[in-house]
Parts: sequence; C-alpha cells; structure tokens
Amino acid sequence: MGCGSSLPDRDSRLLGRPTSENGGGQDAKNLRVKLVLLGDSGVGKSCIVLRFVRGQFDPTSKVTVGASFLSQTIALQDSTTVKFEIWDTAGQERYAALAPLYYRGAAVAVIVYDITCPESFSKAQYWVKELQKHGSPDIVMALVGNKADLLEKREVAIQDGIDYADKNGMFFIETSAKTADNINELFEEIAKRLPRPPVSSDVASQTAVR
Amino acid sequence: MAHFALNLLHNLEPKRDSYGFALRPQYAQRYREYSSIYREEENERSDKWSDFLEQLVKSSQPTSENEHEITLKAKPDEVGGDINPHRLSNGDDSSRRTFSELEVETNVVRASKGDDSSDRTTSGGTEIKEGTSPERVSEGDDSSGRNFISDITRGHNSGKELHHSEERKTRKVQRWAEIRPSLTAIEETLSSRVKKRKKMKGEQIKGNNNHLQSIEESELVDQDSSELFSHWKELEFLVQGGVPKDLRGEVWQAFVGVKARRVENHYEHLLACNESEEQDVPSAAFGKWKKQIEKDLPRTFPGHPALDENGRNSLRRLLLAYARYNPTVGYCQAMNFFAGLLLLLMPEENAFWAFVGIIDDYFEGYYTEDMIESQVDQLIFEELMRERFPKLVNHLDYLGVQVAWISGPWFLSIFVNIIPWESVLRVWDVLLFQGNRVMLFRTALALMELYGPALVTTKDAGDAITLLQSLTGSTFDSSQLVFTACMGFLTVTEATLRELREKHLPSVLGVIEERSKKGRVWKDSKGLATKLYSFKHDRGSLVEERKDTQGSDTAADEKEQLESHSSNIDELLNVDSELDSLPDLQDQVVWLKVELCRLLEEKRSAILRAEELETAFMEMVQEDNRLELNARVEQLEKEVADLQHILADKKEQEAAMMQVLMRLEQDQKVTEDARRKAEQELAAQKFEVHVLQEKYEKAMQSVAEMQKRVVMAESMLEATLQYESGQSKALSSPRAGRGQSPRSENPSRKIGLLSFGLGWRDKNKGKSNAEESSESVHNNGSPRNESDSQETDR
Ligand SMILES: Nc1nc2c(ncn2[C@@H]2O[C@H](COP(=O)(O)OP(=O)(O)OP(=O)(O)O)[C@@H](O)[C@H]2O)c(=O)[nH]1
Ligand SMILES: [Mg+2]
Repeated sequence: MGCGSSLPDRDSRLLGRPTSENGGGQDAKNLRVKLVLLGDSGVGKSCIVLRFVRGQFDPTSKVTVGASFLSQTIALQDSTTVKFEIWDTAGQERYAALAPLYYRGAAVAVIVYDITCPESFSKAQYWVKELQKHGSPDIVMALVGNKADLLEKREVAIQDGIDYADKNGMFFIETSAKTADNINELFEEIAKRLPRPPVSSDVASQTAVR
Repeated sequence: MAHFALNLLHNLEPKRDSYGFALRPQYAQRYREYSSIYREEENERSDKWSDFLEQLVKSSQPTSENEHEITLKAKPDEVGGDINPHRLSNGDDSSRRTFSELEVETNVVRASKGDDSSDRTTSGGTEIKEGTSPERVSEGDDSSGRNFISDITRGHNSGKELHHSEERKTRKVQRWAEIRPSLTAIEETLSSRVKKRKKMKGEQIKGNNNHLQSIEESELVDQDSSELFSHWKELEFLVQGGVPKDLRGEVWQAFVGVKARRVENHYEHLLACNESEEQDVPSAAFGKWKKQIEKDLPRTFPGHPALDENGRNSLRRLLLAYARYNPTVGYCQAMNFFAGLLLLLMPEENAFWAFVGIIDDYFEGYYTEDMIESQVDQLIFEELMRERFPKLVNHLDYLGVQVAWISGPWFLSIFVNIIPWESVLRVWDVLLFQGNRVMLFRTALALMELYGPALVTTKDAGDAITLLQSLTGSTFDSSQLVFTACMGFLTVTEATLRELREKHLPSVLGVIEERSKKGRVWKDSKGLATKLYSFKHDRGSLVEERKDTQGSDTAADEKEQLESHSSNIDELLNVDSELDSLPDLQDQVVWLKVELCRLLEEKRSAILRAEELETAFMEMVQEDNRLELNARVEQLEKEVADLQHILADKKEQEAAMMQVLMRLEQDQKVTEDARRKAEQELAAQKFEVHVLQEKYEKAMQSVAEMQKRVVMAESMLEATLQYESGQSKALSSPRAGRGQSPRSENPSRKIGLLSFGLGWRDKNKGKSNAEESSESVHNNGSPRNESDSQETDR
C-alpha cells in the first residue's frame, strides 16, 4: 500500500519534467521569445530597448560593442504573458559578421532605421534580405522607423516604410525612443503576432505519459 | 589625502567612481563598500612599487645615485619636468594629462581646507602627481575641464607661455611626454619585444607569431639587463597586484613600448593629413570611418568629466589619425573606448602610440573588417570552456545559450563596460605586461569559474544571461579576479592558444568565404578576407614559394605584385623631373601612354590571375569546410541517435517497472481481500462452534436428566414390578407357570425404554444437524439475494 501511494507522485514528476525542459512556462499562457534588434549604427536600437525595458531615454547612450542583452516581460489583455529576451546588436557594418550568432534561432527580428537617414533605410532592407535568406523560416519581422520625433528632419517618407514592409510581409511602425511614442505598442503588436504553441499539446503529452 | 579626495568624491558625485566613470545605480552601494579596500590596496602597492623601482634604479644604474634619488623623492621640478613640464606651471592651463581630473574638483575643496600637501609623502609614486596639486588648487574651477592635452594652439598663445620658457624643456607640451626615468629600465627591456617584431617584419622572416613575444619568449636573459631579469618575477607579481594609479599611464607605455614605436613627427603628420583632408575628397572607406567616429564620440564614456569638448577633440584626432595610419583596421566600434581610456592616462601622442601597439600587435586581426581573429578567439574560448567547465557548458547548452553570445562582447570590449573599472584596469595591467591576449582568456575563464556555479541554477536562457551580466557587472573584487585568472589558468598560455588558433582558423575563414561569395556583387581582388589574411601572414614567404601551388601563398604573391605596380606608378610620378628633361612633349605622352597600357595590361592579368586563385582557394576552403562539417554532423547525429536510444530504453524500463508495480499492488489487494474474507469466515465458524457447543452441553444436560428420569422410572418400575410380583406370589404362588410369562415380558420393556432414550438423543443430534444446515443455507442465501437484487437493479 505504501507503494501504491508513491505512484501518483512519480507520475506528477514525470509530467513536470517536459515543461521545465521547455524553459519553464513555455506554454500557451506564458511565452518566452528570443528577439534580435538589427539596424545601422546610431539609429537608436539601444535607446529603444532601454525605453522599453527601463522606461528611460538617455540621449547619450553608450556605443554597443558586439551585442548586449536585456529581458522584459509584458502581460497581454488575454492574460497571457510574453517574456522578451532581447539581443541588441552593434550597428557598424563589420559587426554584421557576428550578427548570425544572435539572429540564429530568434523568433522575432526588429529591424530599425532612422527616419532622418535614408542610408539607414537601405541598411534595413539589407537586413530584411539577410534574414529572409538565413533567419528562421517562421521568424516574425518588424520594420521600425525610429526618431519619429524629428519630424522636421524626416527624409524617409512613412509610406516608403509601409510599402516596403507590406511587400515583405512585415509589421511596420514608427517610434520614438525619445518621447516613448509607440515603443510599447511595438512590442505588444509583436507579442500578438507570435505563433502560439498549440494548447492541446500539453494535454496530449500528459496522456501520452500515462 | 587620496582617501579624503575619494570620500569627497562620493559625496559630490555618487554616480561616478573615482576614475570618473559612470556607476550603475544598482552597484553604487557595493562600490562604496569596496572603495576603502581599493584605497588600502592602493597604498600598499604604491609602497611596493616605489621600493621596487628604487631597487631597480640602483641595480641598473649604479652610478647615477643622484638621479635615482631625485626620481624617488620627486623633486617636483626635476621629475615633473621630465614627465610633464606643464604640470608644474601654476598657469591656468592645467595640462592635466591623466585621468585623475576628478581630483581637480576635490583639490579645490581641499584647498579651502588648507591641508593640501601635508601628507604628501606617502609614496614615491604618488608624490609626483600630488606635488602638482597645490598649484592646481589655486587655479580654481577653470582647470577642471582640461584633462586632455588639448591643442597646441591654445597652449602657446596664452599668458602662461612664460612658464614654459621658464622651464628647461619647452616642448610642445601635452602632446608627447617621456615617461619617468625610474621606469626606463622596464621600458627598455620590454621595448625589445617591439624591436624584435619590427626586425621580423623588416626581414620578412616567415612565422606566425602574431603577437608581441611574451615575457617568457623574449630572451631577456641574453641582454645585458640580466640583472633586470632577476627582478622579473618580482615585477610580474607586482603587476598582478596592480599598477599604482599614478604610475599606470607611464607603466603601460613602458609595457607597450611606446617609445620604441614612436616615429618622430609622424603623429603630427597624420593630423595634418586629416586637416587637409577637409578640402580633398576622402576615400570612401575613410569617409565611412569618419562618420562612424562622429557618431560614436558622444557615446564614449558619456558624461565623463574629462571628456569635455577638448577631450572629445583629442579623441577624434587620435581615432582619425589611427584610421589613416592603419587602413586595414580603420575604425571599429570599441576602439573609441580604448582610445578614450588611454587618453585619460597619458598625453595624446603617447596615447596614440600605445593605441597603435595594442590594436596592431596585441589585437592584430581583431578589429579589421572581417574580425577574423575575434571570431577565432570565440571558438577557442568555447573549446577551453568545454574542457574546463563541462557541467556549466552542458547546462548552457541545455538552456540554449551559446557561450560566444556572452564572451564575444567581453573579448571585443576587453572588459570595458563589462566589469567595474577597477577590475578593468587591473586586467589591462596584466594584459599589457604580458604582451598578448592570454590574460583575456584567463580573465574570461576566471569569471566563469567565479559565476558558473550560480549559473547552473538558472532555469531559462534569459535568466542565465541576465544573472551572468549582473554578476560580472559587480566584480568589484578585482584582486580576486586577477589572481584567479593568473593562478587558476596557468596552462592557458600563448603557445596553447597559438595551437588552437591554427585549429580553428579554417572554419572561420570558410564561413567568411561563404558570406563574401554570396554578398559580393562585383569581384574585387581585395574583397576576400582569406586573401588579405594570407597576404598579411605569409608575406614573408614570397619569392621562394612563388611556384607553390598553395592558393594562399600565391594569392599573397599576386597581391604583392599589384602593390609593386602601384609603387611603380609612384615612381613614375616621382620622376617627373626626369621626364621634364625629355626633348619632346609628344614623346613623353607616347611613352607615358605605352607605359600606362603596359601597366593596365599587367594589372588586368594580375586581376585575372587573382580571380583564378581566388576561386581555386575558395573551393579548397569549401571542400575542407564541408568535410569538417560533414564529420561533425555525422558525429552529432550519432550522438543524438545514441541519446535517443538510451532515452527509449529508459522509457521502456520505466513502463515495465510501472507495470510490475501495478501488478504487485493488484495481487496484494486480492490477497488482502481473500484474507479478510477468510478471517470473517473463521469468526463465523468460531461463533457457530460456540453455539453448537452450548447446544451440545444443553442436550447433554437434558440427556443426563432423561437418564435420571429413566433411572427413576426404572426404579419405580422395579418397585412396581416387585410389588406386583409380591402380590402375584401371594396370589398365585402355586401357579408357577403363570408367573414366568410377565418376567419374560419385563426385560423387553426395559430395553424399549432404553432404546427410547437413545433414540431421543439421536433425534436431538439430528435436529442440531438440521439447524446447522439451515444456517448455512441462510448464509449462502444472502449473497445470492444480493446478487439477485443487483441483477434486478441492472
Ligand atoms: N531624437 C531622437 N534621438 C534618438 C532616438 N533614439 C535614439 N536617438 C539618438 O540616437 C543616438 C544613437 O542611439 P543608440 O541607441 O545608441 O543607437 P544604436 O542603434 O544602438 O547604435 P549602435 O550601438 O552603434 O548600433 C542616441 O545617442 C540618441 O541620442 C529618438 O527616438 N529620437
Ligand atoms: Mg547600440
């Protein structure tokens, strides 16, 4: 009879393991997402992340060497949470050699350009192509025109961004890390577009073990 | 005094450390805890260093006792003059060359307290700088901003020009300064590394020694400074303990061999080029670097008090000069931080040559367009990690974290902005002393050793990386870090790293090749990483191996050819005067045209040849790579298959176990039930036995009673018989025959009665038997009824 009572325990442990293997809470309600930020140097990638994670804007941010990591969890209206694991990469061209290290396996790529700098827009297009070639096939891509507060200096028309994003099946938004405009919206919108893990999968695995 | 300054600093500027670098708020508390330790350490090491230098000077220059005396006792005008004449002027141009400009602020405060130089004699090392403090104090706030050696122009047209001329050495102050004499012995010994390297380059000796010779390698012993060598271990130990703040700038210069590297006037020349560049159209690459540098200037140590406008100008000049000096590197993000750091420690030109030494020797191939060495280092580091911390790496693998994600930025930034400044500087002390990147690896390994155990507890990739970032960010115990690095990983040496480099280089080249092939729109002989690389490294093997079929070497040849062509053109242009002497202008034109055609022809064929070689080599590399990848894939597949097998086995075993357990349990239940039923039955039977016994006893009692009654009845019967016989005797005694018949009757009656009694007993017995059977019928009947009712239920 002692044996009999220990059986259910063993059972629950067996069931518990697969969930922790998926990194803890990778279920339909709690998503964990690797996100990579790409784009020309100085377009404001680091500022966007700092705004999103810490709610701050530092006009004299630090140059990013290699890459830097931050994570942030948001709650959606349908009571799911999404934990973003964000890799902010260095923008200088030669660091592109290291980018695959960071975008490989990423579920989301946010490609940023500076609306006051047409060059950065073409750089963004370079990244889109690179990811289409070498990124995960089901990667969610967002195109972001940053520094939207500098309207008077705008050199990339909003329509250009929209058109390019449409053509490539990307989500598009203009943001300002400085004024915080659309920063949270950017990440919320991404969260909504994430492919959800099938709800039944967990139940299926449970019954399978039994 | 230093303590006082530090304390004040904290009160004034809690967001910055004593070097003026920003402190992250979450670490401010820990920093404050450690700052007293830093102070103690600093005092201790100042003493040790001044003792050491004293000894050194004594032993290496036994004749110049006086000079040595001067050095250590720091007669301000002597030593200061040597190091930085400006510093002693009490003019307002403070010529502050070092990072201690924060002291400026505190000095001001100190002045008002009036105890400026009272405790100045703590150590020989610090004395020198502090000797200059009082003057600075009088300058007031004005000086606080001029930390960097600003510009020549300003320095010379101001009123304190007078002070300069008063001093013995009126140099172009601030731009360049020799280090103090007490360090020259070290400088000379270590500079031999630089000279050797130069010589190697000059003679084109083949060798893949990319770095400065490490201490062990450089044959210090056979120089006449064998005495110095005897101090070597001591110096090494001192360096591991940290270089005193006030000596650091100069000691680093001695380590990197700034003096030996310096080419007089070259820096000025580079700056002049940059200025004239404004009018010319800069080359595309240079324009790009310039733009990037402009973007990065405000993002280099933002808010550092030393990086005011002059400081940033210095930084810009240095970076632009370097980009021009070495176009194979140009400018790479991260270099801005190094240049900034060096500028905080030494005059601009000194910083430039130190920078050249670090980027071109220590980190050769690191910050170039392809960042080849950087990528190779990551592979090496991962291998070392797997070797030393298999458990940790397994865990990281399990979480899906690649080691290079974390270590890449560590290596590229040489820990700047990764660990606290005190620790960065301590690591740099050792790294610059050793002359190679060994300390980079050792420090990274030490961090993993210190924080690996904590990482193993993390549950997902994000948590692991966040934790490691925050732990490394609070590595305030710089001594622990440096000693762990230096003592714990002694087997990581330049020799082992070199071996590993050779091993991993091909795969990196392969990947780069792949990328460049895909990304390339038009062919440019310069575009290939491999070629440039092999060019740089196999340059020495030029002529002899010219016919060598090896792609890399011949590619190098080709490159060399191209170069010689361009130098031909240079010559051509230089011999303008010769051309002038030619009689006819038209002849000249014709000759030039012919020459040009020939050159173009040559160039074209060279390019063609280059392309051929390129494809050949690419194929080779690809093949190589593919083989390796295939092998790896196979191996991995095998491993996966094995693991799956094991997993399946385990699962089977588990299922079997469960089944066995379940069966056991069922069996047990069944036996238990059976037992219970048996017990019940037993109880019932016992009860029945009891009842029977009682009945039996009762029956026996009644039997006994019956017998008694029978006996009584018999006796009565006898009595009656006797009475009757008595009467019949009396009546018919003469009739003897009559008397006989009743007698014969009597025994039969007697028997009848007895048999009746027995029959009753038997009958009674039979009755109890019947009762018993009826009971059992009842027992058996009730379950039947239940089952019947169940049946009806159904
Ligand atoms: N006006 C305005 N300026 C911004 C905004 N975002 C960033 N900046 C400025 O742009 C500069 C560069 O931003 P970073 O975030 O450092 O750029 P980055 O893309 O991370 O650049 P790298 O690290 O070099 O790749 C910052 O110093 C800010 O001053 C914005 O939304 N509006
Ligand atoms: Mg950045």
